[in-house]
Amino acid sequence: MAVTANSPEVSTKLPLQTGRQFRAVPALTRNAARGVAVTFLSLIVLIPFAALVTNAFNQGLSGFWDAVVAKESLHAIGLTLFCATLGAGLNAVAGLATAWVLVRDRFFGQGLLNALIDLPFALPTVVAGVTLYTLYGPLSPVHISLTGTWIGITVAIMFVTLPFTVRAVQPVLETMTFTAQSAAATLGASPTRIFRTITLPALAPALLAGTGLAFARAVGEYGSVVFISNNLPYKTELASAYIFSLTSSNQNTAASAVSLALLVVALLLLGLFAALSRYFSRGAQ
Amino acid sequence: MKRSRQALRVAVLTYVGLLIGLPLFFVFQQTFAHGWSALGQALNEPQMDAAIVLSIKVALLAVPLNVIFGVGTSLWIVRHPSRFTAVLDRLIDIPLAISPIIVGLVLMLAYGQNGWFGKTFAAWGWSIMFSYPGIVIASIFVSLPLVSRQVIPLLREVGTHAEETAATLGAGPVRIFFTITLRSITWATAYGVTLTLARVIGEYGAVLVVSGNIALVTQTLTLNIGANFDNFSNFQGFVGASVLALTSIIILSMLSIARHRERKRHEYLA
Amino acid sequence: MSIWLKNISKSFGSDLVLDDITQEIPQGSLTALLGPSGSGKSTLLRIIAGLEQADSGRVELNGRDVTSVAIRDRHIGFCFQDYAPFNQLNVFENIAYGLKVQKLPKAQIRREVDDLLALVRLEGFADRYPRQLSGGQRQRMALARALAVKPEVLLLDEPFAALDAQVGAEMREWVRSLQHQLGITTILVTHNQSEAMEMADQLIILNGGKVEQSGKPADVYEAPANPFVLSFLGPLTTLNGVSLRPHNIEFCEVGQGSKVQVVDVLHLGFEVRVTVTNQDNDRTWVQLTHDEARKKNLQVGETAAIRQRSNS
Repeated sequence: MAVTANSPEVSTKLPLQTGRQFRAVPALTRNAARGVAVTFLSLIVLIPFAALVTNAFNQGLSGFWDAVVAKESLHAIGLTLFCATLGAGLNAVAGLATAWVLVRDRFFGQGLLNALIDLPFALPTVVAGVTLYTLYGPLSPVHISLTGTWIGITVAIMFVTLPFTVRAVQPVLETMTFTAQSAAATLGASPTRIFRTITLPALAPALLAGTGLAFARAVGEYGSVVFISNNLPYKTELASAYIFSLTSSNQNTAASAVSLALLVVALLLLGLFAALSRYFSRGAQ
Repeated sequence: MKRSRQALRVAVLTYVGLLIGLPLFFVFQQTFAHGWSALGQALNEPQMDAAIVLSIKVALLAVPLNVIFGVGTSLWIVRHPSRFTAVLDRLIDIPLAISPIIVGLVLMLAYGQNGWFGKTFAAWGWSIMFSYPGIVIASIFVSLPLVSRQVIPLLREVGTHAEETAATLGAGPVRIFFTITLRSITWATAYGVTLTLARVIGEYGAVLVVSGNIALVTQTLTLNIGANFDNFSNFQGFVGASVLALTSIIILSMLSIARHRERKRHEYLA
Repeated sequence: MSIWLKNISKSFGSDLVLDDITQEIPQGSLTALLGPSGSGKSTLLRIIAGLEQADSGRVELNGRDVTSVAIRDRHIGFCFQDYAPFNQLNVFENIAYGLKVQKLPKAQIRREVDDLLALVRLEGFADRYPRQLSGGQRQRMALARALAVKPEVLLLDEPFAALDAQVGAEMREWVRSLQHQLGITTILVTHNQSEAMEMADQLIILNGGKVEQSGKPADVYEAPANPFVLSFLGPLTTLNGVSLRPHNIEFCEVGQGSKVQVVDVLHLGFEVRVTVTNQDNDRTWVQLTHDEARKKNLQVGETAAIRQRSNS
C-alpha cells in the first residue's frame, strides 16, 4: 500500500498533538454529556428537591410532624394509598387477563383492543378526568354516578394505570414457550393447577414490576382524579389535591412536609414491590 | 376450554370498553352533539386558541431540550460508567414516580417569588414562575427520563466498535457523533421524542401549580379544558378535550410507527 | 512499516493486563498475537491502534513514536471481530467513509471504492446494506473500508471467530493471499493456534500479560520455550511421565519400547487416534496417519509396544 499520507513533514508535526486525545469519541461524549446532564439535573431536579426538604423542616422537626399528622393530611394520604392499592391491585388482575387475551387469543378487532390499551398513556390526564367525570358523574348519560366516592377515584386510577400492567406482562407472555405447561399437563395437572404453579410464578416478576409502576403513578395522580373526586376534605380529598390546596393558600411549609411524607411512603412501597419482584424472579435464568 | 377462553375474551373486551373505549367515544360524541356551527364557534374561542398556541410553544422548547438532555445523559451513563452514573441511572426515573403537584411545588420553592432564587431573579427582572419559562421547566421535569430510557438500552446494544472504527478511518469526534452514534439511535430517539411530546402537551398538575393558570397568558390547553369544566362550560371543554385527544391519537400512531421501525431494525440485527 | 513495542504495561484497576511487553513486528509481515482469552492480546492490539492508552511504554511505527498520537492520525486499519459495520450506511458508503473524511473529490472516491469493491470481490454489492450481507461478505466490506484510507498497518481482532468453519477457512486463505499481494504489515489477534500457524509469518504467544515466546511458527512449534507454549500450540500426551506430542510416538516391536494394551482406536479420516494403557493403567494416546494405522492393523485388546519417535 502506498504510504503517501505519512510524509516526513507530517511525522514531525505529529508529536505535537500530545495529551490524551487519543480517545477521540469518549473525549467528546464525556465532556459534553457530563456538562449537559449535570447542569440540567441540578437546575431542574436537585436544587428544587433540596428546596423541598429545607422547606419541609422550616419550622423544625415538630413543625414537619404536625403538618404530616394533621387530620386532613392523614386522611388524604390514607385515601390516596387505599385507592392506589385497590386500583393497581385490580389492574394486576385485569391487566394480566388483557395481556393474555392479546397474546393467546385471536379474534376480529384485536388490533383495536391493542391500540386502546395505549390510549391512557397518551391521553392527557385532564381529558381522562373530565370525560370520566361527565360519563360517570351527576349528569351521567348511563345513569351511574360515582362522583365524590372512592369508587369513582379508583375507576379513574384504573383508567390511567391499565397500560402499565398489560405492557409489562405482554412481552413475557409472548416469549413464553409453554413447554413446562405441557409437561405439567402430561403429569396430570389440571389447568388451574398449571396456571397457579407454573404460569403465574413465571409472570410474577413482570406483573409486580408493572403493578409497582401503576401504583407509583396512582399515588401521584392528579388530573384524572381531581374532577371525579370532588375534593371534599376528610372525605374524598386525595394527597395531591391536599398539597395543591396548601400551596394555593401559601402554606408552603405544610405542603412541603406532606409532599415529603408522601414521597417517602411511596418510595418505601416501591422498594417493597422491587423486593417482591426480585424474590419471584430468583428462579429465572 | 373453549368456553372459558370466550368468557375471558368477553370480560376483557367489556372491561377495556367501559374503562377506555366508552369515555373516548363519549368525548367525541359530546363534541359533535351541538352541530357543526357550534363546533366551529367553539374552535374559534379566543381563550382556547391562545391556550393551543401556548401548548405548542411549550412543546417546541421543552421537547428539544429534553432530547439534548436525554441523549447526553444516555451517552454519559453508557459510555463512561462510574459510581456517579450508577446513582444517576436510578435517580433519572424519579420524575415519573412523583405527583405532578409535588413537581410544581418543588419548582415554586426553588424559583418562585418567595423561593430560593426568587428575589435574585426578580432583581434581574426575570420571572420564571407564573410565566412561560416556568411552564417549560415543569414540562421538562415531568418528561425527563422518557428519551434516555429508550436510548440507554440501544446504546448498550450497539457498542463502541463502529465509533472506534470511524476514528481509525480518520473521523473526528463531531463527525463520529453525527454520522455513526446519532444515526444508530435515531429511531429510539424518535420514540422517546413522541413519548415526551405526548407527556408535555398533556401535562396538567405540574403546569397548574407553576403557571398561575391565567387565561390568554399562561393557560395551556390542558388548563383551559379544566377551567372550562370548572366554569360549567362543558361543551367548550369537550371541544378542547377532543383537540387534545385527537392529537394524542396522532402521537400514538407515530409511536407505533417508531416502535415498528425499531422492531424491524432488531430483526435485521438478529 | 515495522512496529516496535517498547516496555508496554497496562492495568485495568488492580488487574495487570500487559506486563512490560517489548516486541518488534517486522515490516510487511503477518504476525499473529496468539494466546488464551484474558492473555491481554486484544488489549495490546487496541494499544497499537490507539484505542487504548498504555500506562507505560512506547509504540513506534517505523521509528516514529506514536504513543500520544491520536487514533485518527496513526494511519492504522482496524477490523473488529464483529466487523463493526455502519448499519445505516450501504456498502459503498461504508467503504467511502474514510475517503470522505479526507474530503477527496467525489469522482476519485467513486473510483477508489470501485477498485476496493473489486479487490474484495464485492462488485455489485455497493447498494446493499450490511444486514443484507453474509458474514464473509461483511468481513470483506470491513477490510475494504479499512484499506480505503491506505493504512500503514492492518490490525485484525479475531477476524474469523464469528464465521462458520468452512467460510472461515476460505477467508483465512483469502486474507493471507491479499496480505501477500499488498505487503501491508498486519497483526492478527487469535486464540486459535491452528489459525495462527496457518496464516502467520511470525507468532507472538501471550499468556497472563507476558510474551511467552515469539518467532517463526515452525520454530516455535519445534522448540517450545516452556511447558505453556508446548501445551498451547498442539495436543499433548504423556509417555512414562514425559509430556510429548501424540504424533511423536510410534508403535514398535514388543521389547523395543514400553509394553501397552490398546484400549481404543478412532478413525478420523487421515488421522487415526489410538489410546493405550500400560501396566499401571496410565493412559497415552498416539496419533497415526491412516496408512501407518492400516499397516499396524491394531485391534482393541491387543498387546503392543510404543516409544518416542527417533527424529523428534
